[in-house]
Amino acid sequence: MSGSLLEIRGLHAAYGKIQALKGVDIEISPGEIVALIGANGAGKSTLMMTIFGKPRARAGQILFDGRDITELATHEIARLRIAQSPEGRRIFPRMSVAENLQMGADATDTSEADRASALERVFTLFPRLKERMSQRGGTLSGGEQQMLAIGRALMSRPRLLMLDEPSLGLAPLIARQIFDAIRTLNRQDGLTVLIVEQNANHALKLAHRGYVMVNGLITLSGTGADLLQRPEVRSAYLEGGRRA
Amino acid sequence: MTKPTTPASRVSGAAFIFKKAAISALVALVLFSLMIGIRTEAGPTGQLIYWTRFDDLASVVAIVFGGSIVVELLRRWWGPLGTPRLVPRQLQSSLALARKLLAPALLIFALLVPVIFYNQRYILDLGILVLTYVMLGWGLNVVVGLAGLLDLGYVAFYAVGAYSYALLATHFGLSFWVCLPLAGILAAFWGMLLGFPVLRLRGDYLAIVTLAFGEIIRLVIVNWESLTGGPNGVSGIPRPTLFGIPLTPADDGLAARLGIEFSPTHRIVFLFYLILALALLTNWVTIRLRRLPIGRAWEALREDEVACRALGINITTTKLTAFATGAMFGGFAGAFFATRQGFISPESFTFQESALVLAIVVLGGMGSQLGVALAALIMIGGFELFRDLEQYRMLVFGIAMVLLMIWRPRGLIGHRAPTVYLRQSQAISSDLVKEGHG
Repeated sequence: MSGSLLEIRGLHAAYGKIQALKGVDIEISPGEIVALIGANGAGKSTLMMTIFGKPRARAGQILFDGRDITELATHEIARLRIAQSPEGRRIFPRMSVAENLQMGADATDTSEADRASALERVFTLFPRLKERMSQRGGTLSGGEQQMLAIGRALMSRPRLLMLDEPSLGLAPLIARQIFDAIRTLNRQDGLTVLIVEQNANHALKLAHRGYVMVNGLITLSGTGADLLQRPEVRSAYLEGGRRA
Repeated sequence: MTKPTTPASRVSGAAFIFKKAAISALVALVLFSLMIGIRTEAGPTGQLIYWTRFDDLASVVAIVFGGSIVVELLRRWWGPLGTPRLVPRQLQSSLALARKLLAPALLIFALLVPVIFYNQRYILDLGILVLTYVMLGWGLNVVVGLAGLLDLGYVAFYAVGAYSYALLATHFGLSFWVCLPLAGILAAFWGMLLGFPVLRLRGDYLAIVTLAFGEIIRLVIVNWESLTGGPNGVSGIPRPTLFGIPLTPADDGLAARLGIEFSPTHRIVFLFYLILALALLTNWVTIRLRRLPIGRAWEALREDEVACRALGINITTTKLTAFATGAMFGGFAGAFFATRQGFISPESFTFQESALVLAIVVLGGMGSQLGVALAALIMIGGFELFRDLEQYRMLVFGIAMVLLMIWRPRGLIGHRAPTVYLRQSQAISSDLVKEGHG
């Protein structure tokens, strides 16, 4: 099907003998926010990392903008301007905020002008980061580190932004700020976002569409509002999730 | 954020130190009263005789008491932020100023060494030795300090550089200035060769493989007698020339051309400036690279390899360039070593050298150029200084290293200067930015 930015067909991936993805089909159209929800160990993060080429897909196909990227190396995939903010934020603790941000653009041959405008965009989105420019990454609070991780991913001016658990370990208020920033990016810049979350309530309210993943397979899909109403989603990820 | 030290808090601090020292002395008294206070020995007829040594005991307890006060004072001086400071603020700020001026002062001093100590051959030789280790330290700093790849076989590249020059010069008569870049390139090539198999290794595993690599290179040199002369080494390595002008008493020598009287010191001074220039080149290149994406990628790799991959950094090229760059500087230093000595043998390239250079990098503060230079100066210079102490100097060294790692766990200069600056001035004060040690 033409028109979709990312199209994944029958994707299999494994760590050694452990099958993590068992035939996943996903489609993301340009300008869409797509949420991928599921329990621990469902394979959500693996899917994100397989799109990025590590681990390699055992079978199936990943098409980005109609181009087969299944066999590309990680740094080649990044150069197509797919960016990710990895699970656990993983900022560089001893490097300054400014250096962390520059790292985001280093892998993609971004010009100086593009770097400057991307930096400007990150600062309007997260003014806190500007205040902390020369501070070491490791001295930031959890929320600021998450902002930095997203900001770093934005530095390459991505066409597709993949976020792995952006609300992990954050206070509800900070988590909401992060989600608001993602919504702003999508509305104002038309950025396409794939967001992996355990916080299903937030993620599905934010997303246009969502996929539910169980044991390496997509079991449900639909619009965000639609999925939020589904009894199986409610019982598995919302009521239960709240108690946990 | 140091709170202003009021007289009252200083008094209570002094009382605390005194109490702590008294407790240490008491523990020492209990411990040593039997160990030192009473001495037993078998008498001539087999019976046990003993006598007391209370004066020795008293002096040991006094040393513990005094030492404890000194240690505590030092700890407060350099210790983590938040501990009450007994050092007056004025002294602290002048210390900060001294730190800023340290690097330029050291550089000026290095430039003036041959002028000041012109007639002291020993000092000049020591200076050359120190600078060689400064250069090796700066070279290894790229691999260990910046890229975070623990390399225990750095001496291999030093050896490759030395043998490259020695063999090219003695067999093909190539001059030092032609061989220098060749030695660097060959060492860099071997650096890449080492880099490939260890791409997936980190930490301890990487250390073991690089250690083995260093030994392999040495053993190849020892056993490949037809090429390297084996344990006999290579002798008759040509001395360096000032771009073709030899530093000899001959008619076409530098002294004759300048119309001055020949002195063997000319060559030593020349060697001194040569290694100083090479070391400064290493430093300059490293500082430049740190500001480029490749240098940034090295540091990011040290911080978090997974994050690097997530950002699409090519891990393979990043690691290989780090190995190659570090190895190249090692090769330069090796070529210099060969031309200075005039004779090289595998004995100069043992694991001990790798360990020494690594110690310089770690003690200096991983990644800090100034720290590495200071550590080289202290370790190599200090080693010579304590030469009279014979067997005690290793002991002194061990103690110094342990103490340093307790007080400055990130090395002499553990602070890392950022390489990206913002054009606008910052709103936050530097007080808020500081972080505790270790």
